[in-house]
Amino acid sequence: MRGVSVEVTRGEVLVLIGPSGSGKSTLLRCMNFLEEPTSGIVRLDGRRLGVIDSNGKSRRMGGRELAEMRSQIGMVFQLFYLWPHLTAIENVMAGLTDVRGMSTRAAAEMARAQLAKVGLADKFTAYPEQLSGGQRQRVAIARALAMEPKVMLFDEPTSALDPELVDEVLAVMEKVAEEGMTMIVATHEMDFARRVADRVAFMDEGQIVELSSPQDIFEQPTNERTARFLRKFLA
Amino acid sequence: MNLDFGVAVAYLPHLLQAAGLTIFLALTSQAVGTGLGTLLALGRSAGPRWLSAIIWVYVWIFRGTPMLLHLFFIYYAAPLFGLTLDALPAAIIAMSLSTTAYSCEIIRSGIQAVHHGQIEAARAVGMTYPKIVRRIIMPQAVRIIIPPYMSNFISHTKNTSLASVITVPELMLTAQMIYSSTYRAIEILSTAGLIYLFLTSCLTWLQLYFERATAYEKRGLSERRKRLLGVSQPS
Repeated sequence: MRGVSVEVTRGEVLVLIGPSGSGKSTLLRCMNFLEEPTSGIVRLDGRRLGVIDSNGKSRRMGGRELAEMRSQIGMVFQLFYLWPHLTAIENVMAGLTDVRGMSTRAAAEMARAQLAKVGLADKFTAYPEQLSGGQRQRVAIARALAMEPKVMLFDEPTSALDPELVDEVLAVMEKVAEEGMTMIVATHEMDFARRVADRVAFMDEGQIVELSSPQDIFEQPTNERTARFLRKFLA
Repeated sequence: MNLDFGVAVAYLPHLLQAAGLTIFLALTSQAVGTGLGTLLALGRSAGPRWLSAIIWVYVWIFRGTPMLLHLFFIYYAAPLFGLTLDALPAAIIAMSLSTTAYSCEIIRSGIQAVHHGQIEAARAVGMTYPKIVRRIIMPQAVRIIIPPYMSNFISHTKNTSLASVITVPELMLTAQMIYSSTYRAIEILSTAGLIYLFLTSCLTWLQLYFERATAYEKRGLSERRKRLLGVSQPS
């Protein structure tokens, strides 16, 4: 990845599009330091991620400090990555009890509310393997939302789903966006990008090639690569 | 052929007492081996490279040489370092060192079977590594390693008979002493054999119990847990 610079304001939805291997995932993973950028700076609310600057000196964050920062950033993965030994409600509660230090009772109440919000009020005690892909991804979204993050990162959240399950996940994401969550979404769902994004970034070969409103990107892309990608994709 | 099991009955209290020592040897060294093996397995899979290398060498040596040799070595080499060890402590140390190597590899296989994506998801929620080990890795690893772990426990229990060579009066040595004075080898050996079989049967049963106890998705949440989480209504 080279020369990527982007600022997302509170409540904004930024959608990343581009061919596979263009760096969408890597960019998202750098934003919560699951991947450590070799150079460059990531800031959340003005605070630098992964590195602490004090008195002109800088040092890498320790595990605890990094974990604390990550707990303010929600992440949803392409392959859900629910914890299979925990029920849906326990998946959502784990961060609340073990990171936020909430009591089991309070965490359960919060988790029930989040699961209800993603339409899974009847699946509290289901294990991940008893759920469909779409339901699993909605649990994963509830798990991230429960932490009340400042920003939510979605890494191709519907790419691993059967086509008939995609819409239920996109609907939840749209609802989250409407509630004012700051979101950065890597996806191939162009309709979603057009409808929900405030801005769309087209990425190719590790760079943001074009960044503008969905209208401009989809109707009059200024870059030849963007145009070619969209022609092929929307054909 | 003339068999007289009256001798075996007469010496049964001696044999049972010796079996007590066999159990003690097996349990203590297995406990030490499990504790150290867990630490080594974590060091090997998540520690710095130098630590991982040291642990690899340890396993290489102790898994690659006979336990009989470790027993002799600890027993006879200790005085060279100014230590005089009784037979029993020497046996416990040697057997612990040996089973630690096996336990390390068995536990490591369980740790590595947990998909790295689940660990990333836990990091993304803001869990620190110790939390991830306790909440995500170990509960799943434990279930995976039960069959190989219990197999090793069973071999290890039988291997306590090797301690007889450094004069630990466990079941095997006691049996030998009895039949060399009574000339009733068949009767005494078959009685000792039955006692070993009883001990290993207990472990086989324990394995079954552990496997059932960790089959979480078959049992679901307990009623008490459901009430605590506020999900007692049928779902």
